[in-house]
Amino acid sequence: MNAIGLLILILFMLMIFVGGNQGLKVFFGLLINFIVIFILMILINWQFNPYIVTAVISIVILAIAIYLGSDNQAVANTAFQTSLIVVAILMIIAIVAQHFGQFQGFSTENSEELEGLSLNVGLSFSHVAMVVMVISLLGAVAEAAMAIIADLNEVIDRTPDMTSNSLYAHSRIIGGQILGTAINTLFFGVLGANLPLLIWFIRLKYSLAMFMNAKVLMMEVVTMLLGMLGILLSIWVASWLVVRQFVKHKKVGIK
Amino acid sequence: MIFFQKTKKYWLVLGALVLTWVLLRHDAVIYQQPVGQVVHETARLTQKTTDEHGNTDKVYSQRLTIKLLNRNRTVTLSNQYTDSQTVTHRYHVGDQLLLDGTRQLRILSLKRDATIGVLLVLLVSLLLLFVKWRATGWLLLSLIINIILFVVALVIDINVKNANVLLIFVILAVLVAFSSLALVLGRTLQMAVTLASTLLATLLAMILMLVSLKVTANEGVHFETMSYVTQVPTTLFIAQTIIGVLGAVMDESADIVAALFGMRREKIAHHFKDYWHAGMNVGRDIMGTLVNVLFMIFIAETMPMVFLMLRNGNNWPYILDQIMNLGILQTVVSGIGIVIAVPVTSALVALIVKHQQVVKP
Repeated sequence: MNAIGLLILILFMLMIFVGGNQGLKVFFGLLINFIVIFILMILINWQFNPYIVTAVISIVILAIAIYLGSDNQAVANTAFQTSLIVVAILMIIAIVAQHFGQFQGFSTENSEELEGLSLNVGLSFSHVAMVVMVISLLGAVAEAAMAIIADLNEVIDRTPDMTSNSLYAHSRIIGGQILGTAINTLFFGVLGANLPLLIWFIRLKYSLAMFMNAKVLMMEVVTMLLGMLGILLSIWVASWLVVRQFVKHKKVGIK
Repeated sequence: MIFFQKTKKYWLVLGALVLTWVLLRHDAVIYQQPVGQVVHETARLTQKTTDEHGNTDKVYSQRLTIKLLNRNRTVTLSNQYTDSQTVTHRYHVGDQLLLDGTRQLRILSLKRDATIGVLLVLLVSLLLLFVKWRATGWLLLSLIINIILFVVALVIDINVKNANVLLIFVILAVLVAFSSLALVLGRTLQMAVTLASTLLATLLAMILMLVSLKVTANEGVHFETMSYVTQVPTTLFIAQTIIGVLGAVMDESADIVAALFGMRREKIAHHFKDYWHAGMNVGRDIMGTLVNVLFMIFIAETMPMVFLMLRNGNNWPYILDQIMNLGILQTVVSGIGIVIAVPVTSALVALIVKHQQVVKP
C-alpha cells in the first residue's frame, strides 16, 4: 500500500475518533479545499485573469475552511466576514509588495530542478508569485478570526452585565494571547517548509547582502510577514465586529 | 486639526514606513559589493518563441544604464528577459540592483531590502498599536530567541562532521517549544503541562509516520524530489516536519490546557471525565482550522513548480507524484499531529489535575 494513502487513512480515522461528526466534516473540508486549489491552478494555467480567480477561489476556500471547521453558526458568520475584509486588504498589500520586490519565478538555486524544462512558457510568473502569497495566508487568517470570535462570544455568555468598553478591553487581552500562539504557528510552519533552503544558504556561505535580498529566501520572508499581518488584522477586525454586534444587540434588547 | 489629532497614531505609522523606505533606498554605502540604480532602460523584442509544448513567449533584450551608488561610475549592461519571467527579470527605471565583479559587472540580484524592511516595520508598528509595548516586546523577543536557536542548530548541522541531524533538530524542537511557552506562560504548572503534551503529540505523530513509511517501504514517497537538498533528504524531511507540526500542536495544546485550567480555577469540573470531555470539545473546534493553516502553506509552496510542469506538458498524476508529493505528506503528518494532540492534551491535563486534587484536597 502507498505510504501517503495509509497516512491519509490514519488521519481520517483519528479525525472521526476525536471529532465524530465534526471530524468527518473537517476531513471533507480539507479534501474539498484540495480540489478547489486544483481548480485554481487549472484556471490560472488557462490564463484567466489571475486577480479575479485568486479573489474568487480565496472566498471559496475561506468559506469551506470556516463553515466546515466550526459547529457554531454565529461564530462562523463573523469569522467569514472578518476573513473577507482581511484577505482583501492583504491581497492589495501582496500586489504592492510583488510590484516592488519582484519575487517571481525561479532562481539559480533551482537550476538542477529546471534542467530539461522549457522556461519560455508564456505564463506570467509575476502573477503566480502573487497567488502563492495570497493562498498561503488564508489558513492563518481564518484560524485567528475563529479563535478570537469564539473566545469573545464565550466571555459575553459568561458575563451578562458586560459593557461594550470592558468587552473591548477583553478583546485586547485575549487578542494578545491568540496573536502570540498564532504567530508562532505560522513562524514554525514557514520554517518547517523551508529548512533545506536555509541550510543551502548557510552551507554555501551566502553573503549577508544576499541573505537580505535573494529572491527565493525573500519570497518566504514576505509570505511569513504577510501571514503575520493577516493574523494581526484578523484579530483586530474580528474584535471590532464582535463589539459592534454586541452594541447593536444591546440596543435592541433595551427597546 | 482634530482629524489629525485623532488619527495621530496612524500618521506616525505612515511616517515610520516612509522613513524606512527612504533609509533603505539609500543604504548602498553599507554594501561591500557595487550597488546600482537603473536610470535609463531601452528594451526591444528580439524573438518570439514557441516551445515543443506550444507555449508562446516573447524574448526581449534590454539595455540598462546603471548609476553605481557606492562607486563613482555609471555602467551600461545588457539583460534578456521573457514575458513569463520564469528565471529572467525585467528591470525598471528606479530599480536598485546588487552587482558583482570589479571591471566587468554583472547583475546579481534585485535589491529587495527596502520592500522587506517596510513590511517588517508595518507589522511591528501595527503590533505596537494593537497590543501594548510589553506584550509586543515579549512576542518579538520570543521570535528573536527562536531565530537564534534556529541559526545555532543550522550552523551545528552544517559544521559538525557526521552530525546526527535528527538529534540536533529534536533538541532544537524541545528548546524552541520551551522558550516560546516559558515566555508566554511563565514557569508554571500550566506551562509544563502544555510543553509535555506538545512534545508527546509531536512524538506520536512522528512515530506514526515512521511506522507507516517502514510498513510500506516508502512506497509512493519520493524524498529525492526535495528542493535545495545538500544532505540526506529523508532526515531533513523528518526534521522539517517536526518543526512544522510543533507550532500548530503548541497552539492547540496551549488553548486546551488554558481552558481546562480555567475550569479548575472556577471549580466547575471534578472528575477525569469532566476534564476529558471539555478538553475534547475545545480541541475539536480548533483542529480543523489549524490543519488548514499548514495545508495552505505547504501547498502554496509547491505552486510555481506545478505551473511550470503543467506548461511543460506533464499530466496531473505525474505532478502529484513528483512535485506535490512531499507537500501532501507533510500536510497529512502535520494533520495527524494536530488531531492526536487533542486526546493527548485532554488526558494529560485530566490526569494531572485530578491527581493534584487528590494530593491537596
